[in-house]
Amino acid sequence: MSDRRIFVDYIARTEGDGAIDIIVGPNGELKKARWEVWEPPRFFEAFLVGRKAEEVPEIVQRICGICPHAHHIAAVRAVERAMGVKVSEQTVLLRELVHYSDWIMSHALHVFCLAAPDFLGYESVIAMAGNSDLLPIVGKALQLKRLGNDMIVVTTGHEIQNRTSVVGGFTAVPEGSELRKLKERLKAAKEFGFETVKLAAKLASQPPYPDLVRKCEHVALHDDKKYAINDGRLVSTEGLNVPDWEYPIWIIEKHVPSCNCKHAIIKDRDSFLVGPLARVNNNFDQLSPDAKAAAREVGFVAPDFNPFMSIVARAIEIVHSIDASMQLINELDDPKFEEPTFEYKAGESYAVTEAARGICCHGGRIDKDGVVQKWDIVAPTARNVYNLEKDFEEFVPKLLHLSDEELTLKCEMMVRNYDPCQSCATHSIKVKIRRER
Amino acid sequence: MAKPKIAVFKFSSCAGCQLSILNIEDHLLDVLGAVDVAYFVMAKRENHEGPYDIGFVEGAVTSPKELLELKKIREECKILVAMGACACTGGLPSIKNFAGTQREMEEKVYTELWDLKSIPAYGIDHYVKVDAYLRGCAVDVGEMVELIKSALLGVNPHFRPHSVCNECKLKENVCLLVNKGKPCMGSVTAAGCGALCPSLNRPCEGCRGPANDANAASLAQTFAVDLGLSRDDVRRKFLKYAGNTPEFKKGAEAV
Ligand code: SF4
Ligand code: SF4
Repeated sequence: MSDRRIFVDYIARTEGDGAIDIIVGPNGELKKARWEVWEPPRFFEAFLVGRKAEEVPEIVQRICGICPHAHHIAAVRAVERAMGVKVSEQTVLLRELVHYSDWIMSHALHVFCLAAPDFLGYESVIAMAGNSDLLPIVGKALQLKRLGNDMIVVTTGHEIQNRTSVVGGFTAVPEGSELRKLKERLKAAKEFGFETVKLAAKLASQPPYPDLVRKCEHVALHDDKKYAINDGRLVSTEGLNVPDWEYPIWIIEKHVPSCNCKHAIIKDRDSFLVGPLARVNNNFDQLSPDAKAAAREVGFVAPDFNPFMSIVARAIEIVHSIDASMQLINELDDPKFEEPTFEYKAGESYAVTEAARGICCHGGRIDKDGVVQKWDIVAPTARNVYNLEKDFEEFVPKLLHLSDEELTLKCEMMVRNYDPCQSCATHSIKVKIRRER
Repeated sequence: MAKPKIAVFKFSSCAGCQLSILNIEDHLLDVLGAVDVAYFVMAKRENHEGPYDIGFVEGAVTSPKELLELKKIREECKILVAMGACACTGGLPSIKNFAGTQREMEEKVYTELWDLKSIPAYGIDHYVKVDAYLRGCAVDVGEMVELIKSALLGVNPHFRPHSVCNECKLKENVCLLVNKGKPCMGSVTAAGCGALCPSLNRPCEGCRGPANDANAASLAQTFAVDLGLSRDDVRRKFLKYAGNTPEFKKGAEAV
């Protein structure tokens, strides 16, 4: 018997350009399980050199249209740290609200438009909407996504690329009355948040998903006082606990042949997972009371090492994001305009935020005139690629009894669990799976 | 009339412009009802081959492989739309064209270069004929809906070629350039965003590319002489979202 090979030209419903290549030997042994990245490199790290410090957040948010704010805020904080710029408490809170808005948009997009169609056997959310039983859910999902987008417009002026957040603060702040209107809508969205958790738990409990468990290191930001989103220490289920600006020391990248995407490991250890499941596992106690209650109701126990439970973690975070946003709106009350100011100063520093799909790392060196000398960017997908390959190694042998078509779909779902964002991996990705007999 | 077949393609970009299509939630189900989305990898698993009636292309061409794909796409699409700054003018990826040689760029990011294939970043009309442009970084959702409606009706969309300053004046904003001494690019940049940034107290960065009557050399002089910007600062302004265009190149070379 000859080898069996799985090859998918592209994986739909992810971004960017990559390929999964899996070869199974005649006796069912896995010969190759690689996620290869073909998306042409975009050279942000190269062309940022020579730009001005205040341009970095504006430019890097354009790495990814789905999580611009994660890149933006990580960069803004790294620049501020490097140049010793202090910002007000209001700015810190507003940045959190901006980022939670992005989580609501992105999680709704992922759960309903990218992941749910797989679990339910539809080729897309468009096809899902064709089923009259599911249409109301799709409608509510689009409303939730719209709410996230409207929050982004109110806080930053534009749905995709923020126009107001800059080094030192905000060029314009939202009206308190606008924020309170959003709060009413958030309150109304809670119910659907709970429904989403239940739906996600039901989908992930179908066979064979509950059997697909693989213990690996889960890494997330952690803040002692609140659920970490824009700031905190880097912690893990294996005991990592270091300041975020030390990420270049602890998380190491290596270039792999025939792939434009580098692989990441924890210093002296191995691959690791980042994203909602890693966050919920590391920070369960800091979720909002209702998010915790929703998690307990569906029997979620942290830590959970089943990557297919990512959809549940995402749904739990939808409830948490709604609560956290309402809390932030209370604290912000009527934001006052504060002129953003800063002075150029030579320095080097790094910062990490939690993109909807995991830790997003930025930092570099700036000279005394504010000109960038070096800039480092590592998007969450680049962190997860290597861990995903390990999922393939573990799970594909358990799924060999499936038809080619079904196995291919399961492989795609393994990829989509990570909500990969190949265009955002600065050294970026395309996905294909190939199968031969 | 049969539903028009729509396709969405991505080159080097952040995917933000195609996300804008999914962001028209209020119209989404209507629009999806009026068109046949034949190819949209970010949204669908089943995608069909051309020909297509309207093709939206997002992103700049930055590799030989993308160039081949673009030529095929051009043949397959009746109407080809450049979607967003990257596809219209090269966008942010084009900064690398002015930052050093291709080899120097590669060496800054990668240690091993044997299998990297990338070329300078250009908008798609550098290589093929384009029928319509949706400018901006990211595109304006209102303009996108306008374009889709116009295409369905077979009429030209009503887009504004004048400068952002016109829209800014209509909004009765206090001018950031004249009154606050901030380096605003609004006077040389094409309108259509509703003077978004100046209305939020932020100078226009020129993301929509040159207006039809742009006098970039004059604005560059103003930046240098009246605002005291260095030569490098002026160059950075003009070589950001649309440095490939002859108009903005003039601004970059004026001081
Ligand atoms: S603020 Fe900018 S866009 Fe507005 S009028 Fe002044 S120069 Fe023009
Ligand atoms: S004001 Fe300028 S930078 Fe802002 S969206 Fe409009 S064209 Fe782009």
